[in-house]
Amino acid sequence: MQLVLVLGDLHIPNRCNALPAKFKKLLVPGRIHHILCTGNLCSKETLDYLKTLASDVHIVRGDFDKISSTYPEQKVVTVGQFKIGLVHGHQIVPWGDPESLASLQRQLGVDILITGHTHKFEAYEHDGKFFINPGSATGAYNPINKFVIPSFVLMDIQSSTVVTYVYQLVDDEVKVERIEYKKN
Amino acid sequence: MAGIAVLRKEFLKFLRGGVPTYFDSSKTISEFSFALVDIPFYVMAAYREKINELQELLKEDNINFKLFRKQCFRGVPDDSGLRPLCWKLLLNYLPPNRKQWKEALRNKRDLYKQFIDEMVVAPKDGRTDCPRIDVTMDDHPLSINPDSKWQTFFKDNEVLLQIDKDVRRLCPDISFFQQATDFPCQEIVGGPNSDSIRLHNRVQYTALSAGTVERKGIGMNKVSYTVRKAQEDYAVLSSGQEAHWEVVERILFIYAKLNPGQSYVQGMNEIIGPIYYLFATDADSEWREYAEADTFFCFTGLMSEIRDFFIKTLDESEMGINGLMNRLMRKLKECDPQVWNRLKNQELEPQFYSFRWLTLLLSQEFDLPDILRIWDSLFADENRFEFLIYVCTAMIVLLRENLLSGDFPCNLKLLQNFPSMDVHIVLDCAVQLALSCSLSS
Repeated sequence: MQLVLVLGDLHIPNRCNALPAKFKKLLVPGRIHHILCTGNLCSKETLDYLKTLASDVHIVRGDFDKISSTYPEQKVVTVGQFKIGLVHGHQIVPWGDPESLASLQRQLGVDILITGHTHKFEAYEHDGKFFINPGSATGAYNPINKFVIPSFVLMDIQSSTVVTYVYQLVDDEVKVERIEYKKN
Repeated sequence: MAGIAVLRKEFLKFLRGGVPTYFDSSKTISEFSFALVDIPFYVMAAYREKINELQELLKEDNINFKLFRKQCFRGVPDDSGLRPLCWKLLLNYLPPNRKQWKEALRNKRDLYKQFIDEMVVAPKDGRTDCPRIDVTMDDHPLSINPDSKWQTFFKDNEVLLQIDKDVRRLCPDISFFQQATDFPCQEIVGGPNSDSIRLHNRVQYTALSAGTVERKGIGMNKVSYTVRKAQEDYAVLSSGQEAHWEVVERILFIYAKLNPGQSYVQGMNEIIGPIYYLFATDADSEWREYAEADTFFCFTGLMSEIRDFFIKTLDESEMGINGLMNRLMRKLKECDPQVWNRLKNQELEPQFYSFRWLTLLLSQEFDLPDILRIWDSLFADENRFEFLIYVCTAMIVLLRENLLSGDFPCNLKLLQNFPSMDVHIVLDCAVQLALSCSLSS
């Protein structure tokens, strides 16, 4: 069993000053094994914070990450039997479009594709593959949407199943949902 | 060839005690076998008689415990697999009545199997029917609810992490614990998700293998993987196999789960090591198969007697470790006031050296075969662990010449690294002290 935290689009300090307090309280060190981040952290301090939660942090570059940062554009990570693709998502047009995402998933040949950028949580199965968008962990605004629900995702990966827990901050209360995906 | 006389003496001791003295590398086997030829016939006979006597005692339906203890106190011979059996009796795992053995064993072993099923095999329940449900009020991995199963899971992992570190380096001078056991727990290694329920996997943190995607031209992808090697100190056994240290880890984990007040304390691994080693190397494969369950109950029984040494809050009490060290000092004062005075003047507190002797029942001071021999006597002691005090006193008394001449650092070093010595000298001395003390009181 591996616990993988998926989050991104924090935009600290440009659009938000910190992770919501209620999220911070939940995210304690020693539980999470790995972190997959879709980018747009925007500051080194945020990365340092993530590293306190788990030592194994994987990040791809977002459109607002500093030019000097060395994050790759795309990454492929293997967890158990699953191959996971990690992309920020601003490169894929139309943004968040299932068909475009599916095409990238086929290109990379992954079982799960994780993207961000839209600041909107998504998790769905398409053609037997699994697509996750963790949304924005801070609830940062984007050009399309002024009011964004803060959210992040935790994946419990066992041999051939992924149990996804979605944490959303709705009306200042943490709401948790559980979604299952089986590899076939 | 000054060796022969010495060798013979050594071999006689070996016969008397039944514990193989290890041959140091300077003595070749042929030299030793030469000594063997030279053993007087009557010593061999006495040794056999000792085995026979014990066997006779064990044959009776209702074992004469007083006599049995007395025999064990003088050391159980290694041959004919008597020691594991004797320890099971001495640690009250087997009832003295032979007729009840079968049932007692079956009950306990079933119980242990149940423990494994409950605590190791199925620690979490997985509802898999619903594709998407709201679990805000239910359990989720980041839950801070104290009743949460995930919360318990992570708490257990903290204990497990400590156990894992300790059992991996159990008895590093022998390879036994790194070897695969003949009887792995089928529920765990044979199951479909064996990787996730094997205890050491729960606390193993590795980096994921990751590759960055490079794009060259149109539609050309290249994934370059950075190979990061996970740190693995020990060779991985093939699937379906289990090393002995994994079995010990499981026993300790279950013990910690069942005794939440005490949980796991470093040092317990050193107590369980010799017991498990003995049971898992039993000559009889029927006993060997259940070494895990048997060890668990013998260990639990033993711990119920010495658990006070491991509880911090009891340190100051009479039964705690400090009380025990005070008893040791009183005994030393009684037996050898001169040495006691010396240590007192040098302010060489018993905490500096005897803490480890007493809590770990001397398991760190001697080599494994010697520990087995010492524990024969310790377990056979009627008011248990009174004799331990005498053995520790004897260890100090035997070093008296050096202690009286040495300064503080020398003495401290000497006591902390007890020189290797024939264990029978120590035990004989302890018996002498015990006798003289009981005579004078």
